[in-house]
Amino acid sequence: MEEEKKEIDFEIGMKQNQELKLEEEPQQQQKQVGDEHVLRFLDSVDNYLTLFESLSCTLRQGWLELVSARHSMGASRVNSSLLDLKVHSASTSLQVTPDIVDSMEEQPHFILRKWGSLYDGKCSYEDQNSKVDGLQGKSGSPLPRHRGKPQLSEEISPKQAPLMVDDQVQKKRSRSLSVFGTLVSPQLRAAQLSFETALETLVEIANMRSTMLSTFNGVHKELGVAKEIR
Amino acid sequence: MYGFEALTFNIHGGYLEAIVRGHRSGLLTAADYNNLCQCETLDDIKMHLTATEYGPYLQNEPSPLHTTTIVEKCTLKLVDEYKHMLCQATEPLSTFLEYCTYGHMIDNVVLIVTGTLHERDVQELLEKCHPLGMFDSIATLAVAQNMRELYRLVLVDTPLAPYFSECITSEDLDDMNIEIMRNTLYKAYLEDFYRFCQKLGGATAEIMSDLLAFEADRRAVNITINSIGTELTRDDRRKLYSNFGLLYPYGHEELAVCEDLDQVRGVMEKYPPYQSIFSRLSYGESQLLDKAFYEEEVKRLCLSFEQQFHYAVFFAYMRLREQEIRNLMWISECVAQNQKSRVHDSVVFIF
Repeated sequence: MEEEKKEIDFEIGMKQNQELKLEEEPQQQQKQVGDEHVLRFLDSVDNYLTLFESLSCTLRQGWLELVSARHSMGASRVNSSLLDLKVHSASTSLQVTPDIVDSMEEQPHFILRKWGSLYDGKCSYEDQNSKVDGLQGKSGSPLPRHRGKPQLSEEISPKQAPLMVDDQVQKKRSRSLSVFGTLVSPQLRAAQLSFETALETLVEIANMRSTMLSTFNGVHKELGVAKEIR
Repeated sequence: MYGFEALTFNIHGGYLEAIVRGHRSGLLTAADYNNLCQCETLDDIKMHLTATEYGPYLQNEPSPLHTTTIVEKCTLKLVDEYKHMLCQATEPLSTFLEYCTYGHMIDNVVLIVTGTLHERDVQELLEKCHPLGMFDSIATLAVAQNMRELYRLVLVDTPLAPYFSECITSEDLDDMNIEIMRNTLYKAYLEDFYRFCQKLGGATAEIMSDLLAFEADRRAVNITINSIGTELTRDDRRKLYSNFGLLYPYGHEELAVCEDLDQVRGVMEKYPPYQSIFSRLSYGESQLLDKAFYEEEVKRLCLSFEQQFHYAVFFAYMRLREQEIRNLMWISECVAQNQKSRVHDSVVFIF
């Protein structure tokens, strides 16, 4: 009798444990998801701050290189009154596309197209091609907000293409510096590169901020759900 | 005849030589630069400069100061001193002093033409011109469409007219043509100045030949380095080098085909006066090259004061003053940008 009672008690205890586990599993899953959001948020904040510091260093370097160029070439060759006021197309443009995150919310994504879409420092030539095809093929996708036409040739082999694109980028760089003269000092070219890097960093900061806000919203929602359960 | 200037120089040039040697003693010393390098703000720099010969030019400037204001006021001092010397000078010293400003005149012409090409306001461009390079009809440069009109309408009545014979074309002015025009004019000016000094003879010819040859060589190196990776062909590059100097003609032939800084170094290290300059640089480094050249130039300019009874002291003084203004510009910018750790990168001490 006592043994039967023990068995019955044991079975009841097992069933209760199973019921408890079934109740705890969704809560644990929810906790894991919440932790993941928090970790992602903290990662994005850390990256955001790191990028800001990097931007500050790059800009400081760029400004000093500009002063160095002025020191080398003379104030009459490097000054704001030489900048071109004629109407011309933008050599660099910013494309904003909405990214769908977790099938729920839209997160803006920023893509920098330098030197008239000839060269994107983050993409390979194949990616550049596919992106251009994607932009031209899909009617519903957002159009890039820039003037000027892409100049990619379809007849160039993949191996030669990156070199030709680099050459064209160099030419475009030199052309944009030509407001200060055709024979400019290496310091002025270095300043141009520094400011170009700073622009790329700014776009990365914008993307990181977008990610940060999105993960913050996720954490906020998790906190709201946790409060409701309690 | 060389060696007998002591007999006759002081008749016409003695007063002005004394004046310029007095001005030279007013140049900032290493102690002044050390004080300036420790300044925290531009107002501190102004306070230190008020105690120097720049005092009357800066003391009434209101805060907040800008770096361009400091440079502008310091340049005004040089302009006032130059104008005083020019109005007191007789021939041939007056022509010599005018030659010292033709470089600025060329820079101003190119500034106006380039700015007009970029649709800038002429008044704005005139404010940026160097005061030593101003002439009466400079504002009329804005109406010219090509070099022929530039010459016919404006420059034919200026001292730069003889230098235009090599670059008169009917091609429209664009960035490349303007750059070639600038360097061709400067080449013609340096060669003309060199010939004039040779005609003067004596200590002036000897010392100015050395200084102008150094200037020509430095320009050749800068043109080579700045044209690497550009559309300027080797022949065009070769045409921009002056026809005198230590590097002429064999060094120029080698520089014309250089494609990077290390090749330039290889050419220059064959010449002992420039070997010491390039030996201080690491491979591929170009940023310290300007400072090394300025240091060498300052050394040569200071040496010119060791001899008397020649005109090179006037040229040397003006160049030393311009170097001082460059130093002040660099220090001011480093202080304004809070980058004092880099302040000694480009300051060249004169004394």
